Amino acid sequence: MKQPLVSTLFDFIASRIPLHKLDVRHMITEKEVPVHRMSWGYYVGGLALFFFIIQVFTGMMLLFYYEPTVSEAHESVEYITHFVTMGALIRNLHAWSASFMIFCVIAHMLSALAMKAFAKPREITWIAGVLLLLITFGFGFTGYLLPWNQIAVNATKVGLASIDQMGQYLPAALSHLAEDVRVTIQGAPAIGQATLSRFFALHVVILPLMIFGVIGLHVLSVQLHGMSPGIEDKPRRKDKFFPIFILKDFKEWGIAFLVLFILSLCLPFDSLFPYPLLEPYNALGSTPDGIKPEWYFYFVYYPMELLPFWVIIVVMTFATLGLFAAPWIFKGTSHKTMRWIASAIAAYMIVMTLFGENIYHAIKG
Amino acid sequence: MLNTFLLLLTFLIAGSSFAYPEFQRFSQNNSGRPINCAMCHANGDGPEGASRGQIGSLTPDELNKLNAARSAFAPGVPIQSPILNAFGNNIITVIGKTKFLELRAHPEQLAEVYGYQSDLDSDGIADAQEYLEGTHTLNNVHGNPMKLFLHNLKTFRLHVILIVLATIAGFYGFSHLLNGFAASSNTKSSVERYP
Repeated sequence: MKQPLVSTLFDFIASRIPLHKLDVRHMITEKEVPVHRMSWGYYVGGLALFFFIIQVFTGMMLLFYYEPTVSEAHESVEYITHFVTMGALIRNLHAWSASFMIFCVIAHMLSALAMKAFAKPREITWIAGVLLLLITFGFGFTGYLLPWNQIAVNATKVGLASIDQMGQYLPAALSHLAEDVRVTIQGAPAIGQATLSRFFALHVVILPLMIFGVIGLHVLSVQLHGMSPGIEDKPRRKDKFFPIFILKDFKEWGIAFLVLFILSLCLPFDSLFPYPLLEPYNALGSTPDGIKPEWYFYFVYYPMELLPFWVIIVVMTFATLGLFAAPWIFKGTSHKTMRWIASAIAAYMIVMTLFGENIYHAIKG
Repeated sequence: MLNTFLLLLTFLIAGSSFAYPEFQRFSQNNSGRPINCAMCHANGDGPEGASRGQIGSLTPDELNKLNAARSAFAPGVPIQSPILNAFGNNIITVIGKTKFLELRAHPEQLAEVYGYQSDLDSDGIADAQEYLEGTHTLNNVHGNPMKLFLHNLKTFRLHVILIVLATIAGFYGFSHLLNGFAASSNTKSSVERYP
């Protein structure tokens, strides 16, 4: 007899989050981590968590001085950078660790894909991971606007305008939906104080609450099911999660902090942008040259500039749905094929991030 | 009345003779970076207009300073033009207005004539070099990334040495902890296996 849908769903959740197995002593004393050629992927997840912790602490420090109003936001960021003791260092730590965090989240997701870490019973771990990736992009998008300078506001305008563009591909009855979504995010018909307030609320309250919840689910799920085997063959050996893996993780965190600290101390993040883009946003001025999103959006930004918009919508929709449904789509796929798929995605992202601008100029002239 | 007259006069003169985009264009083409008037002017949109740092917003006292700056034809005369920033004022002070006007035909020579001694924002990159590289001469967090990195590495060498030492000490401690735990777990498991 066929089971009702609700019952099937409950069975699925119960088997994927087996809370009855929650035994802290067992986790600490018995949990093991396989050691093999792909085990670097386990550490990248820990690094993403480390950079997130840095984000939380530096973000809280920036909150002491940052003013989320269109008249004060830019000045308060300048004040932090030039007049607050160690303000430039804290701001650089926040900016650099944001980029590192996003890099680690992407690398962790690709390594999990290559290791087929989403296979049963780890579907919820994977779905939580995909949600974490999307929330992390959300942090990047909302945080970019907060300094309220030329590049921040104009790049956000471009991002929000792309939501409007989606409207023309929807059925007539739903065509206003895209504009409604854009205005809801924006808070007003045009970008202004309402937008800044909403992005600020999203960046410092709503997204952090969401990410804490999803990280909790992700980590709990990893603890309940253990690390995925990662490869078909037997691992070289198995390390105890506590204390061996944890201590190795801490050593990596030490190296990561060393690199992050030196970079933040010696290389201001702002030096990577042309200076007119760092001037306060001028609503009456023309859009300056060189407006583009942060590097982690290049993989979608440059194709968007080159291809018809509907192609991007179709590809992005399928890619996002495909990511969520990966445990079912690739159920019978071999580890070797998964490694090829993950490598192809990684290669695409690297090429678009490093050479996207060159490709754009080569094609557009 | 006099103020209004002065203001009108300044507007008339300024419109044709006080914006020199040759230097901006050169810097932009030479560096490949977008540049705006804030390279030398107090306002990023240039001297014309009524916003802060533009001619239309100047007080009588500032107009006097502007006129004094305009007559600084010889080098070595300190000026404080309210429509220029510190770099713009320093260019006129160092090379004089006459030479500056001559260089409009050869903006690439400005760096050499101005010299590489001045570094107004103390970021370790000379103003003239920043002019060539299209970075901001008055913002110490803006400059050629590699040059800034090397300059700051030198400036903060003590901090860097301390953080490297702290990391090495941490590594030493963690490695010993790891070895200790590994040894104890091996002993424990052998005890469990062979009680």
